[in-house]
Parts: sequence; structure tokens; C-alpha cells
Amino acid sequence: MFHLHLSLFSRTKALECDIDNFHDKLIDASMTFSKAVKTYLKEGKSENFQKISRDIKKIEHDADTLRRSIENQLYANNLLPDLRADVLQLAENLDRVINKFDEATYLFYVEQPDIPQEYHADIKELSKLTSDCAENMGKASRSFFRDMVSVRDYAQKVYFIEHESDRCSRRLLERVFDSKLALANKLQLKQFINEIADIADIAEDFIDELLIFTIKRSI
Amino acid sequence: MDLSFLFYLSSGLFLGWSLGASDAANIFGTAVGTKMVKFRTAAVISSVFIIIGAVYAGSGASQTLGTLGSVNTLAGAFMAALAAALTIYWTVKLSLPVSTSQAIVGAIIGWNLFAGKPTDVTVLSKIVGTWIFCPILAGVIAVLLYFLVRFAIRHCHIGLIRQDCYTRIGLILAGAFGAYALGANNIANVMGVFVASSPLHAVNFGTLFSLSATQVLFFIGGIAISVGVFTYSHKLMTTVGNGIVKMSPLMAWVAVVSQALVLYLFASQNLQHFLISHNLPSFPLVPVSSSQAIIGAVIGIGLAKGAYRINWGLIGRITFGWILTPVAAALLCYISLFFLQNVFDMEVCR
Repeated sequence: MFHLHLSLFSRTKALECDIDNFHDKLIDASMTFSKAVKTYLKEGKSENFQKISRDIKKIEHDADTLRRSIENQLYANNLLPDLRADVLQLAENLDRVINKFDEATYLFYVEQPDIPQEYHADIKELSKLTSDCAENMGKASRSFFRDMVSVRDYAQKVYFIEHESDRCSRRLLERVFDSKLALANKLQLKQFINEIADIADIAEDFIDELLIFTIKRSI
Repeated sequence: MDLSFLFYLSSGLFLGWSLGASDAANIFGTAVGTKMVKFRTAAVISSVFIIIGAVYAGSGASQTLGTLGSVNTLAGAFMAALAAALTIYWTVKLSLPVSTSQAIVGAIIGWNLFAGKPTDVTVLSKIVGTWIFCPILAGVIAVLLYFLVRFAIRHCHIGLIRQDCYTRIGLILAGAFGAYALGANNIANVMGVFVASSPLHAVNFGTLFSLSATQVLFFIGGIAISVGVFTYSHKLMTTVGNGIVKMSPLMAWVAVVSQALVLYLFASQNLQHFLISHNLPSFPLVPVSSSQAIIGAVIGIGLAKGAYRINWGLIGRITFGWILTPVAAALLCYISLFFLQNVFDMEVCR
């Protein structure tokens, strides 16, 4: 019995640690992304931007490793058997957001879009909103594991920021298509704007799911 | 030990086996069904604590059954236990919540009627009263525990994974307590009728400890219950965990602790002495149904969670079982004793 308790506590601690680190990666990815966009707008595909791009790639890789470790621990050690499916779904969706940050940064790296100065402020604002949205999503998700009472507070923030990000992306798209830019440029900018705004939408969907899991789990 | 004793005891052992198969599912069903606890762990813990409960604290409820009717021949005890076991088999077929207590009480009354011995109405009313009181008490305890757990979860800010870890340990401890209480309370159902006619003797294990003749009998009964746990309860545990009662592991803990507390209250002589010595109302030591206790607890949790629609169909079936099980066991015992005495020429009463 004593051995059972000890190993159960150590397995629990290891899983808690991995889940915490996984959330840290999401917050790292969101902040690094915001920094990457700012750097790109200021310097283009500079050495500095390339380094930030590599940082995001590493964060994404580490997050994948952590996700796999969480999945393995859940199954191999038979932890959280009654809500394992829910936790796996949450981990997959968190990872999806981190991947999306990596993809968006990589798109800047590969396509090197030519973004006119007049859109810089709006794109910075959009990337900041998206980054905040993902950060609050990460905090909500962490609260689900630590203290469910706060999930709702962060969820409300995510909804609010996602709404702001929608408004910002629509305003930006309208401005781009009202401009005299070539159609190819307009379409490329549209792709970038949508790519960034999509992250906030994914965060919103994640929060919808998380709130249902929270209701299911509350007693 | 006479070989014929083993033959007569076989009906009691069969009754013990069926009790182990069905009632262990009430203790560890949700824990095993939701994979929080492995079956092997559950079976080992159940078996050990059922035997400890039966040997150490089984005499209280057994004495009450003895005052209801002291079956004084082995053949009579054999038939009383067999009638109870067959009635249980039949009620299981009818999908009624099984109560070994009600079946054995009915069988004892059947023996009393056949032997022309008076049935102590005061004791009988006390026993019948506990049948009604037991699920209600389990429900009340479950409601109180539910609010206590909810308060603790909301105010202690325990993380989800840690909560899972504590729940798992809690389920194992509650299961051990539940098994102890089950052994203490329900061994009377299995072996109670054999106490008066048992030829067993006390056993001394040097200066370490000794077992009285009744404790030896209860030890054998405890082993029969454990065999039931190991051989047949796995399927029932999975059914309880996944089918009939779908509950979260935390709520399962509340239900199991409520059920175990009720069984303990109706079995513990120490607690009874403590309450009496402090001039407090005490609980009668009576074997009660663990199945009905857990149903009471689950209904209690449902009400506490705000599900105000009570399943009257289930309550109706329990009530029907309260009447049907003892009446059927009494009739079956009476008719079987008649055949045993007049066809097989055996002494069923003195």
C-alpha cells in the first residue's frame, strides 16, 4: 500500500509537471509570435527574425514532445481514467494553436510578404490581440487543471479579445481591398491576415470545449 | 470435524459465495468500472477486509438474528440457508435489488413457523424498521458527504490531477472500510443460522490470539464470500461501473463511504456500547442490505445535485423486494423443511 501511494504520488507529480510545462510552451509561443511579427515588420527577414523563427520551431517541437509524454503517461499509468479523453482532446487543441503560431511565422519566413507601412500598426495590433487571446486560453486551460473556479474569468477574456481580433482583421481586410495594391498583393495579405486571425478563432473554439469539460467536472 | 457438517454448511457457503459475487460490486464497482482501481487490487482488499470484519466484528448482528430464531439443528440451518440462497437467485432473475438479509430473515421465520417456535415480534419489527431506515440513512449521509466534498473541492483549490490521485486513494480506503463493514454486518446472513448448531471448537494460535467457535465459523464464511469476490464479482463490478449507475469516481467515493458507514453503524458493538454509555440513541445490530444502502446513497447524491425527479419505479421495486424476498424465503423454507423432515426423515428442529 505504501509503495502504491508513493508511486501514485510521483506519477501524479510528473504528469502535473508536464502539463504545466506544456502550458508554458503555449505562452512562450504566443509571446514569441508577437515578437516575430514586430521584428519582421521592422526588419524584414533579418538575422534577428530568423533566430526568432527558429525559437518558435523549437518551442513547437518541445510542445510536441511534451504532448506525447502526457498522452503516454495518461495511458501507461492509467491516470485520470474518467476524463482521459477530455484531457487528450485539450492537449491536442493546445498543440494545434502552438502549431498555428509556428506555421504563421514560417509563412512570413518563406513568402516574405511586402507589407506597406500603412498596415503595420493594424497588423501589429492583430498579432498582439491574437497573442493575448492564446495566452488567456493557456491560462484558462491551466486553471482547468489547477483551480476550476478561474476558468470562467479567463474564458470571458478570450471571448472579448477574439471579438476585438475579428473586428481588427475585418477592418484590415476592408482597407487592403479598398487600396490600389495589385490583386496578387491583396490576396497574399488576406492570407496572412486570415492566418493570424484564425488563431484567435481556434482559441475561442477551445474555450467553448473547455467550459463544457468544466461543467462536466464540477460537482 | 464431521464430513456431514461440511455438507450442511455448503448451503451457507453458497450463500456466502453469492453475497461476495454481488455485494463486492457495491463497494468497488465504480472504482473498477471506471478503471480507477484494478480488479485484482479490489478483490484482494475486499477479501482481506471482509474476513477481518466477519471474524472481528461479525457477532453483533449475528446475535440479533439468533434472538429472532435459533435454528438448532444442522439440517434446519442447511435448509434455511438454502432457501435464502434460492430466493436470492430468484430475485436476481427478477432484477430486484438483492438483499441477503431479507432472505435469511424470511427463512428463519419459515423455520420458526415450521418448528412451532415463537417469533419475537419486537426483534422482527426492529429488523424490518432497519430495512426501511437503512437506505434513507444512507441517502442522508450521502447528501451530507456530498456537500462536505463540494465545499472541500471549492475551497481547498485541489488541482484536477491531484484530485484524481486523492480520489483513487480514497476509493481504496473507502473500499477497505466498506469491505470490513460488509463482513461485519453481513456474515450473520451467511453463517448466522449455523451458530446454534455448529460443532466447531475454538482455536488457539499459541499466545498470539485465539478464535472462538463462532469466529472460526465466520472465518469459513468470510472465505466463501472472498471466493465469490474473486470468481464472479468482476463482471458485476464492470456492469455497476459502466451501466446501471454512471457516476464520477468522486461521487462513487461518496456513495461507497455512505454505504459503508450505514453497514458499520448497524454492525459495530463498540460503537453501540459507546453510544449507550453516553446516553445516546444507539443503532440496533442488524444485518442490512448493502445493495439497498448504495441505492439510497445514489438517490441522495442525485437529490443533492438538484435532480429532483426521483425514480419512483426503482423505489417501488425496492419496496416490492422488501415484501417479496422474506415472504418467498419463508414459504420456501417452510415447504422444504416439510420435505426434509417427512421424505428424508431428518431432524430439522428440536
